[in-house]
Amino acid sequence: MRILSAASSAKPDWSEDFLNKLAVFISLDWGELGQDRRISGMQDSTFQRISDIALRETGQQLSPSKAYLIEARLATICRRENLTSLDDLVHCLNARPNPRFEAEIGAALTPKITAFFNDKDQTERIVTHGLPERLKASGTGRLRVLCCGVGSGQEAYSLAMRLDEIQEGPLLNAEIDIVGVDVCPTVLSTAETGIYNHFEIQKGLSVQRMMAHFTRLDSGYWQLSETIRNVVTLQKHNLLEAGDALGFFDVILCRNVLPAMSRETQLQVLNSLIAQLLPNALLFVGESETLLGLCDDMQPSRSVRGGYVRGTTAESKDEIAVA
Amino acid sequence: MKHCLVVDDSRVVRTVARRIVEDMGFSVGEAGDGANALEICREQLPDAILLDWNMPVMNGLDFLLALRRIDGGDRPIVIFCTNENDPEHIGQAIRAGANEYIMKPFDADIVRSKFGEAGLV
Repeated sequence: MRILSAASSAKPDWSEDFLNKLAVFISLDWGELGQDRRISGMQDSTFQRISDIALRETGQQLSPSKAYLIEARLATICRRENLTSLDDLVHCLNARPNPRFEAEIGAALTPKITAFFNDKDQTERIVTHGLPERLKASGTGRLRVLCCGVGSGQEAYSLAMRLDEIQEGPLLNAEIDIVGVDVCPTVLSTAETGIYNHFEIQKGLSVQRMMAHFTRLDSGYWQLSETIRNVVTLQKHNLLEAGDALGFFDVILCRNVLPAMSRETQLQVLNSLIAQLLPNALLFVGESETLLGLCDDMQPSRSVRGGYVRGTTAESKDEIAVA
Repeated sequence: MKHCLVVDDSRVVRTVARRIVEDMGFSVGEAGDGANALEICREQLPDAILLDWNMPVMNGLDFLLALRRIDGGDRPIVIFCTNENDPEHIGQAIRAGANEYIMKPFDADIVRSKFGEAGLV
């Protein structure tokens, strides 16, 4: 704005301050004139309908204060369907109910991690403590890691890159499989190609890692090496469903997935994830999240800060097995 | 407070970068080309330098090579910030002693991320 006002300094009234006042004035005026109560450009009833879809399909609890996120996350679908607003989208759904379309909308509304090495310190602890501990306990030389809500792949690929950089220690010869799951097929197809745009490639990734693991394509996009991509298996999976088909894991990363969900669905997701943990395996939530007060079946790990393990009493194990 | 020198021949880019870097808690100085930046660095070395490549008088790469030769010139963290975005240029910058590399256009998230990677925040 400073640039804009400097460029138009010949018109003294168009200062940033003046424009702000104008914006406030206009929005107040609109508010008084408006017949519908509107949330960030959509009707109240539209927000309600979309919220219901999100909760039912993927357990997301949408907040009216984050309405702008809904618009951003559904923009691609609206463009494809030639719809100019979310109100139109909901009119469409009401006129012609379509469960598959609603499932797609629910998937598109899930939050996506778009930076590499998110929760970097925790990832480091997992590599230096969590995985070596699990390797020792398993005795098979093989480890399985699950990334929940893998999105366009950044979290899983960050871990794979970090593991690739290991020069010594117990993990050097370990066979480590990373499984990344997400409910949204659109982001999974990005993850599969390992192709990232100008902005994505520069978030969370050092220039050394970018140069070591990526190739610049003629399009200006950057593609992750096949070696790293091959470490990660990607799968479409809704966390609200049972995870039996995914198998069992030594480490489960469920980071920045739960906060967007209702408490009920948080528990549902946790219970199905806990069922896929090998004995004494580790579950991680995001660095700013906690399971304390949410899930009594899991206790903070004594050996890896930020990790959780199943409660040790036989009773709680039985409860989990039933759940 | 850490000090960052923003070196770019575009006043617009300097202004945008200054605002982002100041928001991260740095004090900020500006230079319009490499020669001007070198003069400033001979007076007092900043903690960080955000450096354009193509500039009149002295370009970013020549500045970086000269900086690393002056007494204490190995200390400032240098982050290139340039339109040159092919691996050859990036490699050349790293070999000349750059710590990080931002490809233009950039936004606040990228600058924050790269300052983090370079250990500045």
